[in-house]
Formats: sequence, structure tokens, C-alpha cells
Amino acid sequence: MPRRGQAILLALWLLALAGLGALVAQRLKVSTDLRDFMPAPTTPDQRLLMEQVGEGPGSRLLLLALSGKSDAELAALSQGLVAALRKDPRYSQVLNGSFDLATLDERLLPYRYLLSPTLDSDSMDEAFLADQLQQRLDDLSSPAASLLKGLLPRDPTLEVLKLAERWTPPKSPELREGVWFSAQHEALLLVQTRAAGFDPDAQVDAVAGIEQVFHALPGSAGAKLITSGPGYFSVVVSQQTRGQAEWIGNVSTVGFILLLLLAYRSVSSLLLSALPIASAALAGIAALVLLFPQVHGITLAFGFTLLGVAQEYPIRVLSHRRAGEDAVASVRGLWPLLLTAIASACIAYLAFYASGVNGLKQLAVFTITGLLVAGFSTRYLLPHLLPGRVRDVAAMPWLLRARRFVDHLPRPRWVPLLVAAATVLMLVLAPGSFWQNNLAALTPLPQDLLQRDARLREALGAPDVRYLLILQAADAQGVLKLSEQMEPKVEALVARHAVDAVELPSRYLPSEATQRARQQKLPDRAVLQKALDDATQGLPFRKDLFAPFVDDVETARHLPLLTPEVFAQSTLGQRLSAMLVARDGHWLGLGTLSGVHDVAALEHLANESNGTMRLLDLKQASESLVVDYRTRILRALLVATVLMVLTITFALRSLRRAWHVLAPMTLATFLVLAVERAMGIEISLFHLVALILAAGLGLHYALFFERDTGDPAEQRRTLHATLVCVLSALLVFGMLAWSSIPVLRAIGLTVSLGVAFHFCLSILMAPHAGHGHARQD
Amino acid sequence: MKILEQPRVSSGELSWLGGDRLERRVEQPAKEVATIADGEVTQQREGRKPRSFSLNRAPQLQVLLDSFVALLGGDASRLNQAFAIHHDGNAERWTLILTPRDTRVAKVIASIQIDGRGNEPRCMRMQEADGDLAIDLLGELAARMPAAPTREALAALCQGG
Repeated sequence: MPRRGQAILLALWLLALAGLGALVAQRLKVSTDLRDFMPAPTTPDQRLLMEQVGEGPGSRLLLLALSGKSDAELAALSQGLVAALRKDPRYSQVLNGSFDLATLDERLLPYRYLLSPTLDSDSMDEAFLADQLQQRLDDLSSPAASLLKGLLPRDPTLEVLKLAERWTPPKSPELREGVWFSAQHEALLLVQTRAAGFDPDAQVDAVAGIEQVFHALPGSAGAKLITSGPGYFSVVVSQQTRGQAEWIGNVSTVGFILLLLLAYRSVSSLLLSALPIASAALAGIAALVLLFPQVHGITLAFGFTLLGVAQEYPIRVLSHRRAGEDAVASVRGLWPLLLTAIASACIAYLAFYASGVNGLKQLAVFTITGLLVAGFSTRYLLPHLLPGRVRDVAAMPWLLRARRFVDHLPRPRWVPLLVAAATVLMLVLAPGSFWQNNLAALTPLPQDLLQRDARLREALGAPDVRYLLILQAADAQGVLKLSEQMEPKVEALVARHAVDAVELPSRYLPSEATQRARQQKLPDRAVLQKALDDATQGLPFRKDLFAPFVDDVETARHLPLLTPEVFAQSTLGQRLSAMLVARDGHWLGLGTLSGVHDVAALEHLANESNGTMRLLDLKQASESLVVDYRTRILRALLVATVLMVLTITFALRSLRRAWHVLAPMTLATFLVLAVERAMGIEISLFHLVALILAAGLGLHYALFFERDTGDPAEQRRTLHATLVCVLSALLVFGMLAWSSIPVLRAIGLTVSLGVAFHFCLSILMAPHAGHGHARQD
Repeated sequence: MKILEQPRVSSGELSWLGGDRLERRVEQPAKEVATIADGEVTQQREGRKPRSFSLNRAPQLQVLLDSFVALLGGDASRLNQAFAIHHDGNAERWTLILTPRDTRVAKVIASIQIDGRGNEPRCMRMQEADGDLAIDLLGELAARMPAAPTREALAALCQGG
């Protein structure tokens, strides 16, 4: 191609890239919802699990611990933090053990007569009031006087305190200096955020808000604030993933550039060979942007890594070029093999698409688009731009020696058999269980954070994250009614120590029927006034002191019943609305459990309820989710394998040749699995995914080594290209293997091992390796 | 007390259990034991469930605790830490006026006045910020509590007696 034409082509290509870049920059919305990377739920329990993981009351809870100062100073900090956070709209509930009456919504105060259980057993008659007032009188000469004095005129029966008692968490930590303390001398707080747990942006904001308030408190210097909980974890995860992906990406890129410069000694070749990759990445993201409303951050991080495969295409072109040969002609010679590799890799990634996990689907779209664009631009655009004169790698002296070494390697026929036998042996004797079913093992969280969370959760008596009681009814009122019926039964279980505490929705809001019954028991103004007058006879209370009380009761008699919708507008109602969810035409009530000791007793209770109540084991649901998911991936893999065998057999037009390509690949794949199992690693979904990726790379090696060109120089070029590819893959994935994030580590280790094994086995099992050497002699 | 038409009288024992612990045992008009320990107040009344709450919610008690423990333990620095102190009179007949330094406490308790003779505090008047007044007659003075006391009569009792 003339120079002018080259310049125009290059300009057009760069322009197209700029266009894609503009589209991406404008439309790209990165999501960090970890659930996208988890399997898609199929059963109702699994769907509930995914929602609970993301938006349930448990997922919004942040656990705070203050330490590093004296108890009294920590208590003051705790109080200061609560006072500041309660004013902040980002937090729906802030608790530190001290109940502050100010948290009660003024407008809801008259509702206390409908919410408190007092009227279920008593009525507002003279006898009840007289007894209550006598007690109040005693209170006034007791240490509690200053506490109660202000309440008395409006609430002589102390309904507000009864509600406060009812609404404080059922199992509380030890109170010291008036606030919660752990056994390790940390002041403890519970903060519920308004934002969902897996909305990392909002959680970053919420966590930062707490820290900001804390550090602004007088006396906070020297004290330490520890945060934990799902929301905090999502912050840690997104920061860690971003940080590590950036760091690994930078180091890999530098290493990669150095490697290519060393291999080809041409800056222009290096720059031009970056074009297919850049096109692949931009086209991949553009496809995501057009197909999905949001792109997952992990998809992007992993996707760029996986696109490393596409770097093979220009590398093959550069390595296989003969001295003086036209680049277009050289690519044409390679194209059938490259196309086979691209087609089979794309088919392998289809298995990702079939996994049913949004994040993996995105990964598949990104990678398939990327591979196709990289492949076709390597074939049809790149050769026209490459410099006319290149250095033939086949003439490099070290390569001659390397090829000779490879050719002289002994290739006894029993090597594959031995490897196969060792593989089987390792798989059979490996310690531990084969599959990793624990969903938590997939979420990249450091173990010490999880342990700290467990410790704080235990100390705070925060709800168990494993079990939930699910109440089901046609509407919200039905759920509340059911919850009221269940309350005594559940309390019996608490009394038997089957469970430490249970929180049902009716703890916060009685059903309308119950409210109505209580409302109807309230006396009218005249009757109440008379009863009150009689009751205060002989008591020293000032006349008309209780007028606010009489007014409130009168107000309560005419109040519209409190519905969950209205209640939800108050601070405490937030808590209720997290426990009541509408689903597929019915309503669910979520009861949280703390300290489950006897699962069988809870299950027994659930079984007796005729299906209106059940015990949801989130761990079991999540494990069934993983098993489901794996079955789906394995099934997809089976289909992919069959498709790949067909593609390769069709492309090579020989079963025997296809066997020579597929045998080393299959053996290497199982060898990776066996070595990881022998190292005690339990195989997770991410290991499986990485195995597929390694197999795709291995396919390239086997395809090119299998190729019988009858030309020793070409065999040397094949070795050169493959060595560059293997080294670059080892560089990128070897780096990932050092990551502290379990998912990245799983992928890095698996692919690194895979690349090494695929390379060795495809050389050792290559059918023509020795021939080239023989002919050269 | 503002919300009552007549003052409320009760009698019993106040004892220092050492450290930050006080016990208040009431015999009249109803039996009740209240203990202040480790920042918690526990109230036990005959025939009822014990009730407990945080000391933070009852500044009145915090003041009582601070002043009593400091006085009985002879801990001047603690007293100085919690209150601004005004001293009047002589060793034979003295008056201490304590004003809480903590603004949160001061919102509830305006001041405490303690009258005493020699080594013995005789009378403690706690002026609450809302105008209510609690007067504790201590030691031998306790026996001289009138059946229908008035502020003036008790004040005279404290000062003179």
C-alpha cells in the first residue's frame, strides 16, 4: 500500500476509535453491585436471598466500635456521634443503647395507646389509673424522678417507656456509662443507612459521613473508630478491586511493552500492534453500553485482562512474518488457523453467556466482541499499516538453539499416560471437598474483616445473617395479623432458649384489627375525666396537671388507624418497612432471629403453621444457588466442548489432527484442576471460568504446534510467537495470582498454571516437532 | 415540686458502698431500694419488676453521686472537677454551694447547697433548674422532719437547728 493510503487508513482507524471512545465516555455507567456477579436466583427463596443480601434490613446495618480511650470518654463520643447522625438524613436509625425519647415522632405520640399492649389487659378506668398514679408518686421520690417528671402530665401511664422497651433491640450488649460496650472495652453503635448495602457510592458516602462526624467530635483525637457490616464491605471491595486492578494493570502493561520491544525490536510494530487491542477494548465496551443499562466494574477489570488473549493475534502476525514478505500475504497464510482459534474462543465464551449471571454475560459480550474486532482488524487492517521491511525472527540465534532444544526433547509415548495417571491420582487423593459451595468465598473479603464483623455482630446481638422467619399473607395487614398470632409461640421458644431473640413485624406495628380493638377500649373525654378525678382523690397531684393526657386519649380515639405506609415516614417506621415486602401479589414479613440454638424447634414451629410461616436458611439457599449455577456452567461447558470439537474437526478436516490439538488441551486442563485440588484448593465458579480461559489460550498453542508446515524456519517462528504469547500471559495472570482478592487470585493462579501446562504438553505431544528437526539436518 | 400540690416526704438510708456505688434505701412511704453502680441505676420496689436505666439519663443522680462520694471520701479534687465550689462560714458551722460544671447537668440541676457542722453534713438542698427543690435532711436532723414541711421551715432547719 502506498504511504498516502497508509496514512488515510491509519487516520480513519484512529477516527473510528475516537468515535467509539466518545460513545463510551458518554453512555458508560459503571455499576458495582456485587450481586451482578453472583448467580441469578431461580427459586423464591433464592430471590429473597439476593434481595436480602442487597436491600434487606441486615444489609443496611453498619456496626461501629469506638476504642482507644477510657470508658467515660468513649461513652461521651458515642453520645456525640448519635446526636450528630440522628440529624443526618443518610441514616434511618442510630442506636447506642441509650434510648432517647426525642427519637419518637411528635405526630405519632397519640398513637401510643394503639401501639402499646397496655389496653389488651387493662382499661383506662379508675382502678387502673389510681394504681398507676400511686406508682408515679413513688417514682417522684425515687432516683428516676427527673427522668419521668417531664413525661408525667402527658403520659402518666408511661406508654412511651413501654414502647421504648418494646422497640429496643431484643438482645442488647452490656451497658456501661449508659451506652453499649463490648467485652473488649469498645463503645458499640448500630447505624442503619437509608441506602441499600450494595449501593457502594451511597455507602461510601454514608461511611465517610460517619468518619467525618466522628473526627469532628471534641475528644476524638486518639480514639479509634472501627466500621463493619455489608455496606462497609462493599466500600472496601470496590476500593480494593479498583486499586488492585489499576496496580496490576499498570505493572502488566509496562512488562508487556518491554517484552514486545525485546521480541520485535521495533517501536512502530509495537504501537501498531496495540491498535487491534485498543479497538477490541473500545468495541467491547461500546457493545456493553448498547446492550446493558449498566456495566459492572468487575466486568471491565476482568474483561481487559481476558482480552490479553487477543494480543496473540498481532503477535502471531509479527512473529510469523518472513523477511521481505508482504504483511498482507503473511497474514493470509495464518488466517485459517487464527480464524479457527478466534471462532473456538468465541464459542468457549458463549458458555459464559449461558451462565445466566449478569456479570458473566457482560463479560461474554465484551470478550466475544473484543476478540472478533481484534481478529478481523488484525486480518484486514493491521497488515496494510505494518512497515515493509522487518526482521525475520527465524534467523535469531537463540531461537535456533531453543527450537533445537525443543526438538531434541524426548517424547516417549508414555508421557501423556503418566500425566493422565498422575492427574487421576491427585484428583482422587486431594484433601477437602471438591467444590466450593460457599457464596461468601466468592465475595472478595479479607478473613480478618469477616471475623471482626462476626465478633461485633455477636457483641451487639445484631440479627443472625443466616436465618430469617418468613411470614406470608395476602396483604400487609394479613402479615401483621399472622405476626401477632405467632408472637406468643415465638416467645415460648425464646423462653426455652431455642433462640435468643426474635423480632417480628408486629413488634413495631400491630395489625389494624388490634389497633381498632384498643381504640374502642379508650374511654371518651367525660368518662376519662371522671375516672381521673376519682383516681387522683387524695393524691397530691396538682389539679389539671393531666389535661394533656386527657387530650391525647381523646385524640387517639379519633385517629385513623396507623398503616405501614404512614408509619414508614417516621424513623422507626423505616425499620418496619424493611421487614414488610410485597412480592408477586402477596406480602412477606421478615422476622429476624438472634442467637439460634435449636434450628429443629424453629422448623417444627414453621411446619405447624400450614405454610404461612417458614424458616429461611440463607446459607442453604445460597449454597443451592451456587450448585444450581455450577450445574448450568458445566452443562454450558459440555455444549461448548462439543461445539469446539466440531469447529476444530471441521476447520482441520481431520479427526486425527483434531485429536492432536484437543488431547494436550484436555489433559492440561485436567492437570490444572488436579494440581489445584492437590494444593487443597476447593474449586469455585471462578476457577472454572479461569480454566475455560486457559483452555482457550492452550488451544492456540496446540493449534500452531500441530500445524505441519514442513518448513523448519516456520516452526521456529511458531515457537517464537508461542513463547511471546506464553510469557505475556504468564506476566499478566502471574500478577493476578499475587492479588489479595480471592477471585483475582483464583483466576490468576488457574490461568498461569494452565498456560504453563498447556505450553509444555502441547510441545511434548506435538506430532511434527521432531520432523522439522530431521528435515533440517 | 411544681407538679405536686404538697411536698413529697420520704425517709430511709443513703449508704456509700465504696467506689462509685451508692445505695438509697427508702422505708417510707413505700419500700424501695435504688442502687447506683457502674453508670447504671437499678430501682427495686416491693412487688414489682426491677427497673434500671442509665445514669446519663438522670443527671440529678450523677450530681448526687459526685458530691456524696467526693464528700464522704474527702476527695477535694473530684469535687472540684465536677463543681464550681463556693465556701462560706467557719469550721463549726459551714455552707458549701456547688454549681455543676457540666452544662448538660447544669440544665437539670442548678446548684447544691450543703450545710454542716464540724465533720458532719446535716442538710443537702438540691435546686433543680425548673424551680423544684429537693431537701435531704441528713443524720440527726432527719428525725426532725416535720409532718407537713414547707421550704421555709426546712431552710430554717438546715441553717439554724
